[in-house]
Amino acid sequence: MTQSPRQHEITALLAEWREGNQSALDELYPLVYNELHRLARRYMSRERKGHTLQTTALINEAYVRLVDQKNVQWANRSHFFAISAQIMRRILIDHARRHAYAKRGGGAQQVSLEEVAIVATDQGRELIRLDEALKTLGEMDPRRSQVVELRYFGGLNNEEIAGVLHISENTVTRDWNMARAWLYQQLTGSGAN
Amino acid sequence: MTPERWQQISRIFKSAISLDSEARAAYLKAQCSDDDSLRAQVEELLASHRRAGDEDFIGGLAAEAAAPLLIDDDAAGPTRPTLTKGQQFGSYVVLDSLGAGGMGEVYLARDTRLDRTVALKVLSSDISQDKRRMQRFRQEAKVASSLNQPNILTIFEFGEVDRLTFIATEFIDGETLRHHLHGKRLKLPEVLDISIQVLAALDAAHDARIVHRDIKPENVMIRRRDHVVKVLDFGLAKLTEKKVSQDEEESEAATEFKTAPGFIMGTLNYMSPEQAQAHAVDVRTDIWSTGVMIYEMVTGVIPFSGATTSHTIVQILEKDPVPLTKVVQAPAELERVVAKAMAKNPDERYQTAKDMLIDLRSLKKRLDIDAEIHRTSSPDTPAHEVDTDPGRRIVLLLALIAMAVVTASIFAFSVWRSRRSSPSSSVTTPVAPPVERTLTYWITVQKFKDGQKYQAPFTLAGEINFEPSYHIRVHIRSPEQGYLYIFNEGPPTAAATTEYVVVFPSTTANNNSSLISAGQEVQIPEKSWLEFDQQQGVEKLWLVFSKDTVAELESARQAASPQTKNLIADAGQNKVVGDFLAKNSIAKPESEKGPSLTTLKSPGNLLVYAIKLEHH
Repeated sequence: MTQSPRQHEITALLAEWREGNQSALDELYPLVYNELHRLARRYMSRERKGHTLQTTALINEAYVRLVDQKNVQWANRSHFFAISAQIMRRILIDHARRHAYAKRGGGAQQVSLEEVAIVATDQGRELIRLDEALKTLGEMDPRRSQVVELRYFGGLNNEEIAGVLHISENTVTRDWNMARAWLYQQLTGSGAN
Repeated sequence: MTPERWQQISRIFKSAISLDSEARAAYLKAQCSDDDSLRAQVEELLASHRRAGDEDFIGGLAAEAAAPLLIDDDAAGPTRPTLTKGQQFGSYVVLDSLGAGGMGEVYLARDTRLDRTVALKVLSSDISQDKRRMQRFRQEAKVASSLNQPNILTIFEFGEVDRLTFIATEFIDGETLRHHLHGKRLKLPEVLDISIQVLAALDAAHDARIVHRDIKPENVMIRRRDHVVKVLDFGLAKLTEKKVSQDEEESEAATEFKTAPGFIMGTLNYMSPEQAQAHAVDVRTDIWSTGVMIYEMVTGVIPFSGATTSHTIVQILEKDPVPLTKVVQAPAELERVVAKAMAKNPDERYQTAKDMLIDLRSLKKRLDIDAEIHRTSSPDTPAHEVDTDPGRRIVLLLALIAMAVVTASIFAFSVWRSRRSSPSSSVTTPVAPPVERTLTYWITVQKFKDGQKYQAPFTLAGEINFEPSYHIRVHIRSPEQGYLYIFNEGPPTAAATTEYVVVFPSTTANNNSSLISAGQEVQIPEKSWLEFDQQQGVEKLWLVFSKDTVAELESARQAASPQTKNLIADAGQNKVVGDFLAKNSIAKPESEKGPSLTTLKSPGNLLVYAIKLEHH
């Protein structure tokens, strides 16, 4: 693969970010967003059964395209996945907001010419609610919220999440259990809080 | 919740989760000794943990679940029209965007002339450009809609505004079968219920020589409130076909499916072999697609589905799907029905939707009877598959309680009646004056045209032939004090239970009280006019006039509210009402029909009568 100037740039930005430069993230964000978004849509427009979308495959592809493979470091890769999870969350929520027919609360979905519209409407609304609950969780407990983000939006497995967050796999499992139970409670309205 | 509290809860949760239930209870008791709310919070969270696991909550990946969200941008193509919220579009005001697809955009809109909410589909211009094809589509869709079959989505209007072609249809608050399926299987009774309604729609359409051509779960909508199924987009499939031949009239058959990027390929999975080969299609293509859809509902698997378009087509033409009963537990009859519907050769399929409908109905009947026998013969064994769903069991239980209530009241009523009618028991007591209930009613009709009152209102007695432009008021009076209940029952639908709208009393009628005094004239509605669904068939207004309050009706009407437009939103309560009316109604009360009044008389303390309004 020929190396583009963009790969250099992104690789460098990732390294900077890893070393604690937050403004590197600001520069990185739109670049990764655009690439992931483009790839996601391309994936979706292919003929495929049931419109399944493999997030990890997609992020991997973006990673290979965007990051200089000669200077690959595991740390870079896990950082890339961490930011990609966040971005996938943004992409999906952006789309969901555009689509969601949230006006009637838990209310109506309608008739449409195509499955796309209908499925999108409802799933979009659910996704937005999840996103909001996740934000609330993030305020109380940033780490648990991040575990959910990495797993659900980023498609990372426990081992990868443990690597990104520098915690043990057992802790990842425990964080996930707690966070999922709490999110479930929030979304289904069960429970007192 | 404070961060400290959260930390406290999560610490206890973390340890409790690995304990068995006994140890867990002891642990919680020890940890939350003097703090009941803490304990409750942890327990709730533990319960949520279990349920989240059972339901596989966020078990997949967001991008998979929400993948369709990503397609929209490219799918609609460059000529997609866009209306904005609040925009005036002809006589419609756009309320919201409902979504977009390859054929255009769908909006929720208000029809300002008739003051009703509609779904507005604005077709993208590349589709509506072909005038001739548009014309044919309009004809077919109109005919299908005009059949007034309850399972066919009603189209209100076709039109063009600013060179944009649109279709206004009834707005269904519900979900598509695609969404309802969500990759899972449905239970047999539900499969049958949905299939029967789809076939009823097809049967009516086929009789009118209309082929749907695109039956698939995306085109089947299930209404939230009553689970009535509506088949969408009759005739629309025509628009997606692309003619190959020059001579359009002659080669109606020769079609090629448009495969623009982003165009939904799902359509392909339900396509019949003749459709896939671009041969002539007839009603039997819909039979095939329905078969495929039933297969999917039962097994959760789409029988013909390849990695690419051509793989799928090869499967449709050559592959025999795994028999239903090999995939899941299903009755052999259902397998036969589905296999027959999916015969590669159209001549070997069901030749009409009606035949298939009959087979499914008799299967349903047999299963219902089996279930009933099972229930009554072994009440202690909850083994029957149908009843394993706890929600359903609760509904059943409610229905049983409701039946018990009705039975008890009928019993009481008949005891009272037999006492009264048995002369031997009253030999020594002086004969009381005959007890009866008397109710007089008349109906005022106001015609409406284009949302405006039209001509002067006139009065009718008895039953009327109802026309869509008719809006009515019902007037009722009795020389006696009593408790009055009025319910509206729409034309019969394929739904399992009849639903009732509480017309009287309500928050806007008699201050929500059923008691009317002697000589009081009740007008329903007090201010506006009653308007019925424009659905062909007999609409009934049930009048119940009783000396005493009717407990079951009082409780049933609690299940109706302005939020539900006074519809009783509870199957059990609807059944209570239905049973009550059926048991107590008097087919022919003694009635005196004046020129403008009808007076009903019924012996006893209860009068139940249905005014019939026939739609044309």
